[in-house]
Amino acid sequence: MSDIRPDLQEVFRHVFGEGELILRDEMTADDIDGWDSMMTINLMIAIEKKFRIKFAAAEIAGIKADGQNIGTLIQLIQKKTNRQS
Amino acid sequence: MSVVSLEFVLPLLVLAAVFFYLPGKTARQIVFSACNLASLFYCFGHISSWIALGIFVLSGYAMALVLARKPSAGILTAYLVVLIAAFLVLKKYVIIQPLLPASVWTYPIETMGLSYLLFRQIHLLVDVMQEQITGLKLCSYLNYQLNLFGFQSGPIQRYQEFQERWSIMRPLLMDRHDVKRAYIRLFVGLIKVPASTYIIQEYVKQRAWFLQPASVTSAGHVATLIRFAEIFYGYPVYLYFNFSGYCDVVISGAALLGIKMPENFDRPYLSRNMIDYWTRFHRSLGFWIRDYLFTPMYKAAATRWPQRGNLLVFPCYFVAFVLAGVWHGSTSNFVVFGVLHGIGVSIVKGWENFIVKRRGRKGLKEYLARQPVRILAIALTLNFVSLTMLFFPPDMNETFRVIHGFIHRMI
Repeated sequence: MSDIRPDLQEVFRHVFGEGELILRDEMTADDIDGWDSMMTINLMIAIEKKFRIKFAAAEIAGIKADGQNIGTLIQLIQKKTNRQS
Repeated sequence: MSVVSLEFVLPLLVLAAVFFYLPGKTARQIVFSACNLASLFYCFGHISSWIALGIFVLSGYAMALVLARKPSAGILTAYLVVLIAAFLVLKKYVIIQPLLPASVWTYPIETMGLSYLLFRQIHLLVDVMQEQITGLKLCSYLNYQLNLFGFQSGPIQRYQEFQERWSIMRPLLMDRHDVKRAYIRLFVGLIKVPASTYIIQEYVKQRAWFLQPASVTSAGHVATLIRFAEIFYGYPVYLYFNFSGYCDVVISGAALLGIKMPENFDRPYLSRNMIDYWTRFHRSLGFWIRDYLFTPMYKAAATRWPQRGNLLVFPCYFVAFVLAGVWHGSTSNFVVFGVLHGIGVSIVKGWENFIVKRRGRKGLKEYLARQPVRILAIALTLNFVSLTMLFFPPDMNETFRVIHGFIHRMI
């Protein structure tokens, strides 16, 4: 399984306009400035495009829920990319 | 049947006392199902209502089975068009009444809970199609849709949340302290709802006063201002007490039987803007609008025209909240209510974009953290919300007469 972190970090940097942003698995939406509902959708659109996957409405809704962080997002993307490859 | 009536509360208290002494999950599920069925008998009297309810609910289950086998956005869209058309006819929406013969609108069908059935059904079907709900069973589906704790007026529970508790039917409240808090909350709800009746009586009295030109012209400025303030702030206060009281009863009642309902309020009149407001007042509706109306609309538009995302957000917000307003009732005043909310959220987004453009995201964060900005924002939001609620009573002509009477006297 290839590491998607560098690509995901690139997506985050582009969407949030933060060239220095470093992603860590334990980071949550609260740790990233400006991560609101709108940015969630913009982020999901960019991730879908980058990794050629599709998120369900419930997955987008749950991305900022309690217990969710960058690590769980990476797992979700990997699950979807594996299923589609 | 009102959730603050003795017919509801007494059986609930008895059931809560014995429910978890019932042996095993199946026995508890049977009793819970029986309660759901019994509550429906209180809601629906006419046979045609039962037939309409049956078709509405069972067609959703049939469609879920179809979508589970063949996930197709086309099939779902076609079904939703029919479902929403049926909803508009059953609820006798004023905007579509000229389209059908007058005889169509005389049928005796009760539509209690229909709006919430629609929300739950759309969520469930979208999630089934997107493989977020699998292994749907008729029994759990029916109990989810007809759950007496959310049937009449929400909160809009997601199927996954219901299924999580339904599949185990174990106590949700883990210690005596939690149980005690649930009972206290239930009784607080039982006080809040009747208290709201007093507020609405005052509200009606003041509206009636403004509708008599003789009384308005002879009154002083201060007295007129006070009476108008009772109308302006009275309805938001009434709505909060009434609806949050109802939610206190159903959320705590459900918790006593092991079912977790979503919270519906989070200090809504301290919201700092209209977007924030919809995450605090009737939250389950706000989140539903976000997840199943706004997000798909904006995502589709922004994917197609990626350079125009910042502009496309406005029509998406506007359409989503106009529809949310229209959903609140079948009369034209709710269109005005929805349009005002659409304007409100669009202004908030426009203002945010303006600050981000000038100061960046960090600048926005610093701006929002400033205490004077926060206080001003809360005051503006509260007053804007109150303004929109002037249009909650169905008679718009009366509302405009009240506003005109107030302005005329004050100027």
